[in-house]
Amino acid sequence: MIFEEVLEPPSRASAWLNYAALLLTTTAAAGILTAALYFQYTAAEIPCPLCLLQRVALFGVCFGAMLSFRHGFSYANSGISLIFSVFLLVVSARQSLLDIYPRPGHAYIGSAVLGLHMPVWSVLIALALLIGQAVQLALFGDSRRVLDTGVRVFPVLGTLATLVSLYVIALCAANLVSVVLQCGIDQCHTFGYQLLSPAPNPP
Amino acid sequence: MMAAVFATMLLSVAIGWFGHRILALACFGICLALSLGLFLYEVYSPDYGFRMPWLQVERHGTPPANTPMGEIAS
Repeated sequence: MIFEEVLEPPSRASAWLNYAALLLTTTAAAGILTAALYFQYTAAEIPCPLCLLQRVALFGVCFGAMLSFRHGFSYANSGISLIFSVFLLVVSARQSLLDIYPRPGHAYIGSAVLGLHMPVWSVLIALALLIGQAVQLALFGDSRRVLDTGVRVFPVLGTLATLVSLYVIALCAANLVSVVLQCGIDQCHTFGYQLLSPAPNPP
Repeated sequence: MMAAVFATMLLSVAIGWFGHRILALACFGICLALSLGLFLYEVYSPDYGFRMPWLQVERHGTPPANTPMGEIAS
């Protein structure tokens, strides 16, 4: 509440916009992860190892934002999100290049959405995340007040950030259970859940 | 291995939210190292290494200078 009295209106608006952008990023990432888990079990589209690593990268982006919600906005937290955005770009670009020329054992897994397969969407998502974070830092990174202001100064944003962060933690736990079901503690494959049924021979 | 990656990521987000930032960052570092290692393991091929030879194209000849873009010279 002390900050509420000290912050001047322009700084307050900048801090609000900064946290709103972070919340939007986290919500979008959580939505994508939810959709991935939903399609995995409703459409029986078992994710490949590189697809799972892309999920890890999206959780990493959320992790950086959650640290900003919990401990205040900082370049270090933004750096964590940027590292995982670059990791997402590298993994998805490599997977797109692996599957771009169909051959035995290599083809795009899962159904196309609007004509694009998931690795290609991941490239676009990674680029959007990188551009979004670059714009965010360019607009708000220079303001000392933004760096000193916590999200709890804004009650509605603070509550939403808490809810989204708790949802991300629950989603990460659900993904861990799903990965253990699919891979056990062994290598991951896309032809079955190792712990649910004996895996058939690979095609 | 993938289970370890997700377990360390879960520890990172949970400890980062409920507990200590430093401990969360330590888990984050382990998760990132495991992820990078797993990524390199997954894309490595005993036949090709890290290369992607299927992306290379053959050169069929140089088109004449006045060939419009998009047309293939015979």
